[in-house]
Amino acid sequence: MNPSEILALRNLKVTYDGNLAVDLNALTIAPGEVVGVVGANGAGKSTLVNAIVGWSRGTPRSSGEIFLGDVRVDGWSTHERIRAGLVLVPEGRLVFASMTVEENLSSAFSTVSAPGRRIYSRQEIYDLFPRLGERRQHLGSQLSGGERQMLGIGRALMMGPRVLLLDEPSIGLAPKLVSQVLDTMRTLAASGLAILLVEQNVRAAMAVVDRLVLLERGRVVLQGPAAQVGDDPRIAQAYLGATAE
Amino acid sequence: MNLSQQLINGLVMGHAYALVAIGWTLLLGVARLVNFGHGQMYMLGAFVTWWAVTKAGVPYALALPIAMCVGALFGVIMQRVMLKATLEQNLVSIMIMTLGFGYVFSGGAALVFGSTGEILDTALSRREITVGDLWMTWQDAAIIFAAILVFISLKWVLDGTRIGRLVRMVAEDPKLAMLAGVNVRRVYYGVFAFEGAAVAFAAGMVAPRTPILTSMGFDEVIMTFVVVVLGGIGSVTGSYLAGIALGLFTALFGALVSPAYTTAAAFLVLIALLVLRPGGLSAGSAGGVH
Amino acid sequence: METRRHYMALGVTGLAVLCAPMMLGSGVSVYSAAVLIAIFAIMAYGLDVIVSDLGEVSLAHTVFFAAGSYTTALLSTRGGVGSAWVTLTGAVLVAIGMAALIGFVTLRLREFVFSLVTYALAVVAMTIAANWSFLGGSDGIRGIPLLDLSIPGLTLTARNDRELWPYAFTLLALTIYLIDRFRHSALGAAAIMVHLNPRLATMSGIDPAKVRLQVFLFSAPVSAAAGWLYAYQRAYVSADLLENYFLILMLTAVVLIGRRQLLGPLAATALVLIQEKFFSLGGNVDKMILGSVLVAILAFFPQGLTGLARPLARMWTRRDARN
Repeated sequence: MNPSEILALRNLKVTYDGNLAVDLNALTIAPGEVVGVVGANGAGKSTLVNAIVGWSRGTPRSSGEIFLGDVRVDGWSTHERIRAGLVLVPEGRLVFASMTVEENLSSAFSTVSAPGRRIYSRQEIYDLFPRLGERRQHLGSQLSGGERQMLGIGRALMMGPRVLLLDEPSIGLAPKLVSQVLDTMRTLAASGLAILLVEQNVRAAMAVVDRLVLLERGRVVLQGPAAQVGDDPRIAQAYLGATAE
Repeated sequence: MNLSQQLINGLVMGHAYALVAIGWTLLLGVARLVNFGHGQMYMLGAFVTWWAVTKAGVPYALALPIAMCVGALFGVIMQRVMLKATLEQNLVSIMIMTLGFGYVFSGGAALVFGSTGEILDTALSRREITVGDLWMTWQDAAIIFAAILVFISLKWVLDGTRIGRLVRMVAEDPKLAMLAGVNVRRVYYGVFAFEGAAVAFAAGMVAPRTPILTSMGFDEVIMTFVVVVLGGIGSVTGSYLAGIALGLFTALFGALVSPAYTTAAAFLVLIALLVLRPGGLSAGSAGGVH
Repeated sequence: METRRHYMALGVTGLAVLCAPMMLGSGVSVYSAAVLIAIFAIMAYGLDVIVSDLGEVSLAHTVFFAAGSYTTALLSTRGGVGSAWVTLTGAVLVAIGMAALIGFVTLRLREFVFSLVTYALAVVAMTIAANWSFLGGSDGIRGIPLLDLSIPGLTLTARNDRELWPYAFTLLALTIYLIDRFRHSALGAAAIMVHLNPRLATMSGIDPAKVRLQVFLFSAPVSAAAGWLYAYQRAYVSADLLENYFLILMLTAVVLIGRRQLLGPLAATALVLIQEKFFSLGGNVDKMILGSVLVAILAFFPQGLTGLARPLARMWTRRDARN
């Protein structure tokens, strides 16, 4: 569609057991842009990013158009979208517990580098996350929460993403680790990667994203540059809602 | 009763049990799929081999790959029909469907091959190896050799190759494997094809030992089930060791007590273990093959 | 209001079913088919509560069925018991005993291990039935006397399928009534909860293991009663009662029409047996048909034939609305 859009969503609706969880008119992301999706619990943030790759641990029904570059991918199966460069780092189970870090960081498929598509090598991942390098023969089950997050991101990078979706990367991480992970996002975006970040931790996200999208009951109620929109009381409410838990 | 001879018999039977069970182990460990049609697929493998050798005049060494291809094909067909249920992990549907398939196979086989028993004679089964008082046929030796070869190869593929890694990923967490770009459906097809080919191969190797009937297969399912559960679900090495143990047990039980009730006895031993240590089975229930 | 209409509808259907063989010509084969349909439907109802309500696959109900038959055979031939009331009681007690044993052994096992264990039990039972001289070995037990449910002052016997039909029908009606009562009972509701969400069930104070055991103990005698009647109908029992045919038939009966449909197993059993008796293509082809039907239903119509009927009905009403 628009050459400056690497990911475009139109009329995306996702239904779970008859409940409309996501009802999105339009959302686009440009290469090198970091977009943050925030909202209270149950606002549909996870459902949204899961639907973008056509994946879920449940059985939702979704409709709408999803464009990766100028290719329409909403009819594709999950692994096809992943291989095309639309990659999700899910929330929660991120590692293969029975495999070593080294094995977790092995590609399941071969893909070719292309403009706008950088495939990270395993050594580059170890350079990015030295902790993983130190523990490369350890099993996935032996890693801490932060290390698993790094491993999940590392595997995603090795698949040469054009768009990287992250579902709550800061959950369960110590604040120092959270800023480390989010700073990494900034670095990656600088090299042209488009990033969509779902975050509960609004304050941490705001420091890193270019644009903020506020979801409420599956709908976009507010969208704009982080600097502008950050002061909107509705964002604060979502923030308060999150910390009131 | 010659103890050493019984031990030899037990070793041969044990390798046979392990070989018959290997496809089922992988299928259960990777796709969490219980194939109740396993016994009938074994029966089909035996009959296709027999038909190829006796009716089509194909040499035994060629009949085995033919049976394996037929077996793999049936496996793929079954998986295609059951794909939705497999992806949804609908165990109840899967179990009943495999039962239905088994029933179709038994009816079809009786239709095509008749209901009388047949004997699969191979050059190997007619010639014996004798060491003093002890003997086994060359076919028996071939079974042991084939079983060991298959197990070592499978272990090597699983642990050392890229395909093996993909299989282990799907076995542990199919959803996460999807996000890692693995074509999970293809892996499921592959594993079911392996089950079909492996059980057909096992049948072609083991069937020469006894007459075959289109109504057979039930004992094989039970023995396979005992081997897999005893060895730890999804454990390749475990299946091998459990198979040997079971073989020795049935040989001794058959010689000392009664040959007709060996399956029943093996099953009762399993029940006893299940009752005493039900937790022992949950090891490996988290999913995965190793 | 709703329940009264519900029972009236059932009553009318029942009457129609009772008179059906008469309407269809009263031929010997019609009555024989009717009796067999009734017997196998009752057998299937035993499995129905386990599969549809509890959500587990028990492959041991052929064992209960056979146990009912064998108990009846042993008591009436070697035991010289003349009254079918006594043999029925015996069949029920044996079934409950076996179910209790199996239940305790499988109490803490996960679904598929439970199914495998019950399957293996059926195979082992077949080996025992075919080899143990006490059970007649491969010949089985012959010479079972006629059904005699006489009570002092009232002779109630059946000399052939035509006379057996009213008894078969009564047992069938009673079974359906019991299943209906079960589904409306506390145990029935608990079973559904354990099926759908075991953790939530536990939070609601239900003990899943105990519920499973109780449902199992309730279902076994139902299949055993079918076996009891079958022994009288066939006049002999043998190890063939443990063949896969009965298992596949039961499973198809449970899933063909739709889950938890009260008359589902009956209608399905009727369909299958009518095909076998009147439109048979040879034993082996019939086997392939039955097996394929079972697979096809679960693969393509998991809701059973009623799942097919609903979209068709919708299409129909839409067409009417347009006109």
